Amino acid sequence: MYLSLDWLRDYVDFPKSLNPEDLGDKLTMHTVEIDSVEKQAEKFERIVLGKILAVKQHPNAERLQIAKVDIGSEKMDIVCGAPNIKQGQLVPVALLGAVLPNGMEIKQTKIRGEESNGMLCAEDEIGLGDGHSGIMILENGKIGQNFADYLKLKDVLFEVDNKSITNRPDLWGHFGMAREVNTFLDLKPNKSFTRINSLNVKNITPEKEVIKIEAKIENYDLCPRYMALAISNIKIEQSPEWIKKRLIAVGIRPINNIIDVGNYVMLDLGQPMHAFDFDFIASKKNEEGGEVRIVVRNAKPDEEMLTLDNENRKLNKETLLITDGKKPIAIAGVMGGENSGINNDTETIILESANFNDASIRKTSAFFGLRSESSQRFEKSLDPNLCEIALAKAVELIKKLCPEAKIASKVEDNKKFSLNQGPVIFELDWLEKFIGHDIKEERIIKILSKLGFGVEIKKEKDTKKSVVSVDIPTWRATKDISIKEDIAEEVARIYGYDNLNFEMPKVKIGVPKINKARVLEKRIRDILSAQSAATEVYNYSFVGEEQLKKMGIDYSNYIRLANPISQNHTMLRQGLSTNMIGSIMVNQARQKEIRLFEIGGIYINSDGNLDKDDKGEEKLPFQEKRVCLAVAEDKYADAHNNAKAIIGSLLETLDFKFNFLSVETASNWADQKTSAQIEIDKEIIGSINRVSKNVKNKVGLKKEAIICELSLNKLLDLIDKKGDLKYQEIAKYPRLIRDLAFVVNEKVLYNDIRDEIKNFHEYVKEVDLFDVYQGEKIGIGNKNLAFHVVYQAGKTLTSEEVDVIQKKLIKRLEERFEAKIRDY
Amino acid sequence: MEKEILKIKEEILAKAKKIKDPKFLRDLETKYMGRKGEFTKILRSLSKLNDEDKKKVGRLANTVKREIALVFTELKNTLEGGEKGESFVDVTLPGIKMERGHKHPISLLTSDLEDIFTSMGFMVLDGPELESDFFNFEALNIPKTHPARDMQDTFYIDKPNKNGELDLVMRTQTSPVQIRAMREYGAPLKCVVPGRVFRNEAIDAVHDTTFDQFEGFMIGDDISLCNLIAVLKEMLSGVFKQEVKVRVRPGYFPFVEPGIEVDMSCTICGGSGCPSCKQVGWLEMIGAGMIHPKVLEYGGIDSKKYSGFAFGMGVTRLAMMKYGIDDIRLFNGSDMKFLKQF
Repeated sequence: MYLSLDWLRDYVDFPKSLNPEDLGDKLTMHTVEIDSVEKQAEKFERIVLGKILAVKQHPNAERLQIAKVDIGSEKMDIVCGAPNIKQGQLVPVALLGAVLPNGMEIKQTKIRGEESNGMLCAEDEIGLGDGHSGIMILENGKIGQNFADYLKLKDVLFEVDNKSITNRPDLWGHFGMAREVNTFLDLKPNKSFTRINSLNVKNITPEKEVIKIEAKIENYDLCPRYMALAISNIKIEQSPEWIKKRLIAVGIRPINNIIDVGNYVMLDLGQPMHAFDFDFIASKKNEEGGEVRIVVRNAKPDEEMLTLDNENRKLNKETLLITDGKKPIAIAGVMGGENSGINNDTETIILESANFNDASIRKTSAFFGLRSESSQRFEKSLDPNLCEIALAKAVELIKKLCPEAKIASKVEDNKKFSLNQGPVIFELDWLEKFIGHDIKEERIIKILSKLGFGVEIKKEKDTKKSVVSVDIPTWRATKDISIKEDIAEEVARIYGYDNLNFEMPKVKIGVPKINKARVLEKRIRDILSAQSAATEVYNYSFVGEEQLKKMGIDYSNYIRLANPISQNHTMLRQGLSTNMIGSIMVNQARQKEIRLFEIGGIYINSDGNLDKDDKGEEKLPFQEKRVCLAVAEDKYADAHNNAKAIIGSLLETLDFKFNFLSVETASNWADQKTSAQIEIDKEIIGSINRVSKNVKNKVGLKKEAIICELSLNKLLDLIDKKGDLKYQEIAKYPRLIRDLAFVVNEKVLYNDIRDEIKNFHEYVKEVDLFDVYQGEKIGIGNKNLAFHVVYQAGKTLTSEEVDVIQKKLIKRLEERFEAKIRDY
Repeated sequence: MEKEILKIKEEILAKAKKIKDPKFLRDLETKYMGRKGEFTKILRSLSKLNDEDKKKVGRLANTVKREIALVFTELKNTLEGGEKGESFVDVTLPGIKMERGHKHPISLLTSDLEDIFTSMGFMVLDGPELESDFFNFEALNIPKTHPARDMQDTFYIDKPNKNGELDLVMRTQTSPVQIRAMREYGAPLKCVVPGRVFRNEAIDAVHDTTFDQFEGFMIGDDISLCNLIAVLKEMLSGVFKQEVKVRVRPGYFPFVEPGIEVDMSCTICGGSGCPSCKQVGWLEMIGAGMIHPKVLEYGGIDSKKYSGFAFGMGVTRLAMMKYGIDDIRLFNGSDMKFLKQF
């Protein structure tokens, strides 16, 4: 919404020293966010008045003309396409360097071979209307005069961030804003300001009562008030300049006097108005007048109507309608009907000033995708009392614009509403405690009363404490203000947040409870980035069908978004691997070795353990965090070894002993032969997979990729189970180390061999694999494994003792695994 | 005896000074200090002295011996000139390259923020990213018809409840964790909540469907608006490692009353106006306020007894400001050319 400084001046006697930028700042600091302060004249910079000295035909283009234009300082040629230019006319000329409101910059060009040094402007090109029929022809101007000066455009416009007034129904017009300005500038409200609140319809009596209006409201919750009035002898014409200028300034297109009055009142007071043509909605007509029977009701099933924008709209039963007793004539508060609006021949109007339920309007405007100036305001819960003030103001304006107009009916006023105007009562001490700053009593009273609150501060007899009692004005009572915290806000914001003394809270200090999951996440991040040179990525939580299909993943049980905005993001991920493949692909062209990791959430379509609401019956879907590591290189063996090494170093740094376990079946996208699970303490905590050739080709992955995914929750449980580290006494007796190398069939698993050695004798304390070899030398289908075996006991072991055990061990390996020992 | 020792010392030192070749130095060392050396001989003869003299002269002899040894070592080092066989070492050569990894900029910043607040005694909490309508909206004083729902375009989950309503959402803010925390821990309470949030917005250079927020709240006796502003100033100074200029103005969020917005003097132009701050010199950083009594009640906390403040800010936005990043899509884009800069 735009605020016009000129308009605000109606209600505010600004001190001379205040410049527009300061006012913009103050509005932002006390009331609403101002996005920009625009000086109107700036919009017309480098546009001046020029006189056409001569017009000649363009030599190379039939439809173009060349005008010789005098702009005072010089004379220039300008190529023009509009047919309406003639010698002697005064026209707006955009000079080189001018930027038109539509963003077009005027540059020197040749048009069909002829030089053009500027542009003659049509109405629409400079944002003054819709006309594009020809160049604007001006009167009573001076050659070379600035166009803005000619138009007398000296207004300053403040662009209000509408989001910042969603809670303030009273700020959707200049009058309400003026109240704020008067308050924070601490100015005495002027007469035209104080006059507004005393406007009423008591004195609006029929000059010739020829029309009877009856308004029936079916549901007062949806329409708390409906006022209507007939005015005859209307002559539809253009509004006078001062109204048009104000409307254009705040971005509203002038249409005709009656519609303009409605818009003017809305922008002035915040109350949307509507006008019907009596002829189209009369239930009874006679020579002089007739009857109108308005019924405000919900739409019937299958009802339809043609709205002002010429759309035939199917209504739903929640749509609130204004009807003439038979047919719908407007969607209440949102848009009028095509069949009942003002047109050039309208003579008698029915003026509507009504109040509608905020939620109902919101629903309806969302349903039709129609957010009008009117619906935007009703959505905020307008004060039903405003209907009357606005109607009185509109009548005043119409009388001014159409002096012939006659009030042709009584004011119809059907209403049923109640507002909670308080009082809100609290102790003065509370206010100081809550804000944290001592604001003087007089100041509090002043602020609140200027804003329209009734304030009383009394000392209570028993406690001797000052108690504040605040009455809420109607325009703040619909929703905005109801509790003492609301009052505190009024006082604090007008006093100025920046004028408060900031002070750190006085609280007992203590060590906060540790979030173990968060600590683990951080540790993993440190280990993977610092120790394993992996780079952290953040991927979307969403996945798409095409991607999952290519990976052969069954997504029938994936959680879906009801309103996705992209085909690639329709479902919630159940693992981090899918998007991680994408991350590798982003980098595969430029990075030789890729090591990425992510810590992120997954979402499963079954109940988790968090409550869904305060009833505690239903649960949210299961969610957990995972750690995903990806290693991609040109050679599979390198990628696999590096991935395993990184996982190994991660788990060992976390002080876990772990195993890789072979699996019967791996994920569909993984190479079945090389996939493994990761186990700690008999618990599977994750898996390590190689992206299969098939998937690689389908998705366009160029590298060998190993992807590993671990459950953070399971790691956390295992850490809890493990408990704190304990020091173990350093063994007193020396270790003896024997190397052991042998060839076995490649299918014999390392885990089994290691366990066999480890469990062979109580003196075997450690088994370290230090070499794996496969090659023709030892026969295809075999592998050579080499271990360090560490012996240690509660006494000094002799070489002979160890040799005896080692010999037996070799014999066991030969028997169990058909191992062929190699000598060193 | 003592004189003899001192004399031989002078003799050795004088000869040593003249030596230019390490070989002669070794000869000299053998001649005097070796097993059969002259100085050694004198030391041996000490045994003939009486106990008192032995002590006295012995001390001197040892001092001199250490002195001479030191001179010899020094000379040796100077004459041999470093390690054998290396004529010249390019000291500017680097060592073996060790690859390093990188944490995501959001992780770095979040971690900084967490540290600032844990040092002030705040707990760090998380909550579910797939949240219910109840926690994300209802309990935060945003009923279905509330205009505030205009502000947030929400991803709904396609899983209607018994009444056919969509009541699961991708959380649009980290604030639902306020309610969950109040219910679990009660008052007094000091928490921060980092985490991922979602909005149904078309993606461009400044909008993304997925970004990170950082939420904080504190509930206790006599927590005031001024406390809130003080804590926020402390936080911004902590993040930007310098005193920052802030301004506080009214703002509207249904879950706080009063609501405030905290702007920070633009870090890019220093407040004179630039495209990053839309020419106003201020950056909107934080939405905050005093927790609405209704929200406290939803969290099971007696609003008559306790008050509290809450604040939230976009960490993604903060990261863009702090590091001067102009395209939000880089954060979820996995490009290592971007990520390796952090």
